[in-house]
Amino acid sequence: MPAPQPFPDGSVPLLHVANLTKLYGRDELAIERVMFSVQAGEILGIIGPNGAGKTTVLEAIAGLLPVNSGEVFWRGEPLKIADRRNSLFYLPDGVHPYRDQTAWQVLSFVARVFRRSDAEVRATIEALGLQPVLGKRVHELSKGYARRLILSLGLLAPHELLLMDEPFDGFDLRQIREIIGVLRGQTAYGRTLILCIHQLADAERICDRFILLSAGRVRGIGGLADLRAQTGLATGSLEDIFLALT
Amino acid sequence: MRSRDADRRLAAPIAPLLAKEIREITAGRALWTMLLLVCPLVGYSFAQAVSLYSESSSAALQSPVLARSLSPLDGILVPTFGSFYVAVTLLFPFVAIRVLGQEKETGALRLLVQLPYRHSTLVLVKLCAVLAGWLMVSVPALSALAMWAVLGGHLAAPETLNLLFGHLLYGLLVGGIGLLAATISDSSATAAIVALAVTIGSWVLDFTLAGRSGWSAWFAQLSLTRTLRPFEEGLLSAGLVLGIAVVISGLTALTIIWLPPGSHRRTRFARSVACLFMIVLALGAAAQARKSLDVSEDRRNSFSAADERLLATLRLPLVITVNLAPEDPRYIDLRRNVLAKLERAMPDVAVVLAGARQNAASSPDAYGQIEYVYGNRNDVSRSTSPREILPLLYALAGAQPPVPGSGEDYPGYPLIASANASLLWFFGGLPLLIALAWWRIRRPATKPYLIGKGAKS
Repeated sequence: MPAPQPFPDGSVPLLHVANLTKLYGRDELAIERVMFSVQAGEILGIIGPNGAGKTTVLEAIAGLLPVNSGEVFWRGEPLKIADRRNSLFYLPDGVHPYRDQTAWQVLSFVARVFRRSDAEVRATIEALGLQPVLGKRVHELSKGYARRLILSLGLLAPHELLLMDEPFDGFDLRQIREIIGVLRGQTAYGRTLILCIHQLADAERICDRFILLSAGRVRGIGGLADLRAQTGLATGSLEDIFLALT
Repeated sequence: MRSRDADRRLAAPIAPLLAKEIREITAGRALWTMLLLVCPLVGYSFAQAVSLYSESSSAALQSPVLARSLSPLDGILVPTFGSFYVAVTLLFPFVAIRVLGQEKETGALRLLVQLPYRHSTLVLVKLCAVLAGWLMVSVPALSALAMWAVLGGHLAAPETLNLLFGHLLYGLLVGGIGLLAATISDSSATAAIVALAVTIGSWVLDFTLAGRSGWSAWFAQLSLTRTLRPFEEGLLSAGLVLGIAVVISGLTALTIIWLPPGSHRRTRFARSVACLFMIVLALGAAAQARKSLDVSEDRRNSFSAADERLLATLRLPLVITVNLAPEDPRYIDLRRNVLAKLERAMPDVAVVLAGARQNAASSPDAYGQIEYVYGNRNDVSRSTSPREILPLLYALAGAQPPVPGSGEDYPGYPLIASANASLLWFFGGLPLLIALAWWRIRRPATKPYLIGKGAKS
């Protein structure tokens, strides 16, 4: 298994994913030999169309999906499946946890599990604007508030690395900018984020580096400048680059 | 906002998890619907039982001999809790499935398994929530006990608590089946089918194989229905309690194996096979525990105290060879009146069942004979009554039959009462209280103090 290579600045990757391969059934390839590294404090975007394998990659890293081959390293050391929840926290897409409980009950449950103080909980609620819906049951929340609630659970988790599947789904442009600010604020505290985003414009706004995924394979890795250089599209948008590489 | 304190991840508190699970079970409709259905079911059974008991009592009040046959355990408790047993078998799986099924369907399970709890902790806390659910649905049956006491009925604490304990174990057994079904199924609907297939299939097993011999008898032993019978007869059997505990633990272990979504199916199957092997071994060990307590007030599972004391001193092995088919009513009589009691009273008793139907055809004279071998002496009898068999055994052992003790007779508890008024409670008052409690829980929660003003979207 390829060992994680240090970044050009000499730092060891926080997370290194080596040759992850997942087959559904006997021959339906979901992802094939996916390999990349994440640096501490960065926001890495896994981008690609629907069905590209983005969610599969995140769930495989989180240890929620058994893979056929591949390994995950944490600060250069192999990270066992059982230990992944100690290092990273994954926020799945399309989850409506505990539909019959109020947003406050769900939030305070996670806060108490992670022993968060009232001040930390209050800061999270304020950052995500959840005040108006705390007394509402989860199944009564609009799509946007349901997404904010899920994000709040991630912010309350004390893990260094957060994996988020489609964190902007359900938000309008103004709200996306607001959430980008919140997530950027997280990196200021030293948190690292891996985001799966299918809207390339959103990804371009928030991510430091990108992994372009198509049909389960990595087609390109790097910052926008690297990818432009790689494709020869000096002023190309992420969308142009993605089309050129896939 | 983010703490770097890794200690937070190491020891997560159990209280919020348990509170969440109990909120989940009480937030669902399954629990409340079951409670509302149990009320009239238990109420009607209780009223019928009291009515029949009163009819029998009117004659028994004139005759102490008839009165001795009137036991509240048989007349009131078993029929009342019998309807509760039916409700638990048919409806409680839905309550237990809710504890896990909802999380699987909404995707919350993927969040839950990432929280800093062992998978075993998650499942055990869910089992605690199932237990809490059982306690709630048992309220109508428990209120029937209170009603019986209010009517002036007699309740013997040991046999009543023993029956409650049996139902508790049965509830946990059904709950464990529900939890496992929810874990291995993709949806709650499939889980319900799986759980009901086991519980109702168990009934079918019991009905169709009742009284059969050989493998059929062995299969019939697996029926869940069998688990309650000794408790209903006032017997607390260590082997049975251990056996049920093993099965509940086994179901819990299988649920733990199948809970985490990240493990390979092959690994799960391998672990399940190993777990099943351990369950079989543990059941074998539990079956060796022969100790049992007769907690019935009328001591129906025991000989008289004097006989029991004397039988306990007979240390040599007693081998009883029974030339009867297991489905023969004489054998059933013999087992209930003599063999089961001897096995409890004597230290070393072996029963050999030698009388299949084909033997009866080949040697009709021998069929029906029961041979008793104690040490190097033996005797033969055809009786199934302890009045004839005990003197025979004492003669074989060379022991003097004990003098019958005085004041040991069960007096019986005849009571003429009407439970018609209790129907108001079971059909009106209690359902109303349950509906109120349901409404109270469904009511929007009080706003937490952290809520400030201002909406952002």
